[in-house]
Amino acid sequence: MKCELYEELFTGWINKELSPEEKGVLEQHISGCDHCRTELEALQQLWGHMGQFETPEPSANMSVKFYAMLDTYKESVKEQRSLWADIKYQLSNFWQWQPRWPMAYNLAMVAILVVAGYLFFGKSKSDDQDRQLQALSSQVHELKQTMMLALLENPSASERIRGVSYTSEIKHADKQVIDALLATLNNDPNVNVRLSTLDALTHLAGHPEVREGLIKSIVEQDSPLMQLAIADVMLKLQEKRSVGSFKELLKQKDLDHGVRDKIKQTITQLI
Amino acid sequence: MLKVKAGDLDRMGMLFERYNRQLYGFLFHMTYQRELSEDMVQQVFYKMLKYRHTFTGTGEYIHWMYSIARNVLKDHWRKNKQQVQHEGVEAAETIAGGLVPDEAFEKKQAKAELHRAMGKLSESQREILALSRFQELKCQEIAQILGMTEGTVKVRIHRAMQELKSIYVKMER
Ligand SMILES: [Zn+2]
Repeated sequence: MKCELYEELFTGWINKELSPEEKGVLEQHISGCDHCRTELEALQQLWGHMGQFETPEPSANMSVKFYAMLDTYKESVKEQRSLWADIKYQLSNFWQWQPRWPMAYNLAMVAILVVAGYLFFGKSKSDDQDRQLQALSSQVHELKQTMMLALLENPSASERIRGVSYTSEIKHADKQVIDALLATLNNDPNVNVRLSTLDALTHLAGHPEVREGLIKSIVEQDSPLMQLAIADVMLKLQEKRSVGSFKELLKQKDLDHGVRDKIKQTITQLI
Repeated sequence: MLKVKAGDLDRMGMLFERYNRQLYGFLFHMTYQRELSEDMVQQVFYKMLKYRHTFTGTGEYIHWMYSIARNVLKDHWRKNKQQVQHEGVEAAETIAGGLVPDEAFEKKQAKAELHRAMGKLSESQREILALSRFQELKCQEIAQILGMTEGTVKVRIHRAMQELKSIYVKMER
C-alpha cells in the first residue's frame, strides 16, 4: 500500500480511535517505513502539545444574560396576541399613561415636529433653526426619560427590563434616573430586572452616587446570581471601598458556598 | 430537546447548564476572544430557542447546536472580513503571551508559537482541529456536524495536523 492510504489511520492513532486490527495494520507499515514513523511521532507530539492549551471558563455574566433572555422570551411567548389585539393593547396602555404621564403623550408630537422640521428646512442651516431643533431634541430626551421612569413601574418584568435598557439612550442620566435605577436594583421582585439594572448602572459608574449606591446595595442582595454579578462589577470597577460591604456579606450564615468563595477571591483581588 | 420543542421552555435552562461551557470552549478556540465567544453563546441559545420548532428530533441535540454555532461564526466572519485574518493571529498571541505566569519561560514560548501557528490555519482547518482536539469529539460525531463521511473527516484532520506542523516548523526556524 502507498503511504497516503494510511492517512485515515494516522488520525485514529493520535486520537486513540483505532480498533486493534487497524492498529496492527498501521504498526506493521511503520515498522518498515521510516518516513511514516517519524511523521507519526511528530504529529503525535504536536497533538500532545495542543492538549496543554487552556480553555478559559466563561464569566458568570454569561449565564446571567442567558437567564434574562430566557425569561424575557417566556414572557413574550405568553404575551403573543393577534395583531388587532396588540393594537388594542397598545392603545389601552397609551390611555392608561395619560393621567399620570401627560408628557408621554407629547412624545409622538415632538418626534413628528423634529422630522417635519428637518424635512421643511432641508439642509439650509441658520442659527435660529439650530436652536429650535436643539430645544426640540432636548424635549425628546426629557420625554424618553419620563417614558423610562414609567416603564420601571410596569407590572410586567419584560417591560421593566425594557425601561432599564432605555437608560443607555439617555445621554446625561440625572439624579432622578439614578435614584429610580438604584431603587429598582434593591427592590425589584424579579432577579432578571435587577440584573439588567446592575448592567445599566455599571455603564453609569462615572457618577460617584452610582458607585456609592452599588456598594450599599451589596448587602441588600439575597440572590446568589446577584451577589456573583455585583462582585464581578466591583472587580471590573476596581472599587476598593466595596471590601467592607463584602466582609459584611460574608457574615451571613446562609450564604451560598460558591458565592462565599467568589467573594473571598474578590476581596483578595481588590486589596 | 423534544421537550423544549413542546413548549417547556424551562428545559432550555437545563440544556444551557449542560452545554454552555462546551460551546463556549469551541467558540473560544475559533475566535480567541472571550467576550465575543460569550456573546456568540448567547446568540446560539437564542436561535435554538427561536427556531426550536425546526429541530426534528432526529440526530443529536449537540449536532444541531454546533451547526447553529458554525452559522453564527460564519456570520461574524462575513461581517468582519478585513479584520478577521489579523484578529485571529493577534488574539492568539495575546492569549499565549498571557498564560499562566509561573510556567517555565521556554515552555511558555513554545506554547505561544504553537498558538500562533493555530491562528494561521484556515478557518476550516482550525475548526476541525477544535472539534477533535479541544472538544474531544469522535470522528463519527464530527462527520455528522460537518456533513461529511467519517473517512473524509479523518483525512482532513490529518491534513490540518500536517499543515499545522509545517507552519510551526517554519516559525521555529
Ligand atoms: Zn509510509
